[in-house]
Amino acid sequence: MNTSTQHAGRRRNIMVAASVVLALVGLVIVWIATRASDGPPQPPANAGHSFSASVTPTQAGAVSPMAERTSPSSSPTANHPGDTDLGPILTASPPVAIDIPSIGLRTRNFVNLERASDGSLDVPQDFSSVGWYAAGPSPGQLGPAILAGHVDSHNGPAIFYRLGELRPGARVAVSRQDGSTATFSVDRIRRFPKNHFPTALVYGSTNRAELRLITCGGSFDQKSGHYVDNIVAFAHLVA
Amino acid sequence: MRTSHKLASLALGSAALLPVLGAGTAFAADGNVNANLKPVALNGVNGSGMASVAVKGTTITVTMAANGLLAGSPHAAHIHFGADARHECPIITDDSNKDGHLNTTEGGPAYGPVVVSLTKTGDTSAASTLAVDRFDTAKGGKISYERGSIKVTQTVADAIVAGKSVVVIHGVDYNENGKYDGATKSDLAPTLPTEATDPALCGALSAMPTGGMQTGAGGASSGTSDEGRLALGGGLILVAAGSGVYSVRRNRARS
Repeated sequence: MNTSTQHAGRRRNIMVAASVVLALVGLVIVWIATRASDGPPQPPANAGHSFSASVTPTQAGAVSPMAERTSPSSSPTANHPGDTDLGPILTASPPVAIDIPSIGLRTRNFVNLERASDGSLDVPQDFSSVGWYAAGPSPGQLGPAILAGHVDSHNGPAIFYRLGELRPGARVAVSRQDGSTATFSVDRIRRFPKNHFPTALVYGSTNRAELRLITCGGSFDQKSGHYVDNIVAFAHLVA
Repeated sequence: MRTSHKLASLALGSAALLPVLGAGTAFAADGNVNANLKPVALNGVNGSGMASVAVKGTTITVTMAANGLLAGSPHAAHIHFGADARHECPIITDDSNKDGHLNTTEGGPAYGPVVVSLTKTGDTSAASTLAVDRFDTAKGGKISYERGSIKVTQTVADAIVAGKSVVVIHGVDYNENGKYDGATKSDLAPTLPTEATDPALCGALSAMPTGGMQTGAGGASSGTSDEGRLALGGGLILVAAGSGVYSVRRNRARS
């Protein structure tokens, strides 16, 4: 065996080794891609786009949040027979913390949200903050208190990533600036296409203290840089 | 006979035109507005509430809930709008007679005249402003109200969508004796005490947020970013396979 064949043999070995390394790196990347391809948790399919069935049109044909009202029979407030029952109600006080044990969400990062110039609700600048629509009710006041957060940032999960995992009956505790805690029970969780968003159902007046938790859902549109749906959790005050 | 026939067809013809004229007015934007109802300045009500109005053409649907009102007494409630008004709730300086309370007339510069009466039944026009037997009586001090198919003029519909109207619930109990009474008569009707018509809760109707929210940047999505990773990984495997096959072939060629 001469030196040139020895040399060629060594080159061949290096090339085979490089091929093996390349193949391994490729396999790892494919594995990461398939592992992450589930995306953020989504509400069950039957709660997806069928929202129109759950909204009863009024005589005027307008979407009415009142049509979805349920009688809060287990209200802890003492009502005289015949009194109008609006359930428990708290006075105005901004939220300072939120705790949702069933999805491991707990934060004191709150920011105020306003309507943007295009009429839509602003979103928090920070991916780890929860935004409160301060022009609307406080959590615990009559009507729907609006809390919104990102589902993900540019490189991973954000504060409301697991919102789609919420299920009816889950507890949501909102601590308020006045020291009180408003405890809500989740009624339902829905996914709405952003271009058919039921504005009145989400933001309109209700005859009890309610809460809306809003984030993004559905598929991500690479062209617009946005998700095509919103996930909305509807909850009402229990204590 | 012929004349009446002509008249009839003329009437029918005009009637047929009506939907077309109606459609012409539907150019104005529909909309949804909300008001947080808060205690009116100086009038000492310890309550709050929320009202929403959905405007579709010249038909509106109103939903409203409030608490902290005098229980078991009628509470007149209206949507107010005046082109010259400030489109807001009255403030302390609106107490022009300096009696320490704001009556309905003193609130006029802030919210304007009544344009819709939020009655439970029957007429909803300004003519029902004081139809005390058709307003909610706030059982337990609380009101839960919903009414659809309320017809308004195009001007009023436009004003509501534009955020220029105000919801006011009237009726206070200054002396806290559980009923409307007192020596001071109402500025609206001398047969009623001022307690029965003074504004209790008030809120300006402004546009709800519209449409969805952009609450995601895609970093954890199942979308094309992962397809990119798949392509990269797959590409590397192909290159590796190619170079592997090449070196094995070269090996065979040599031996």
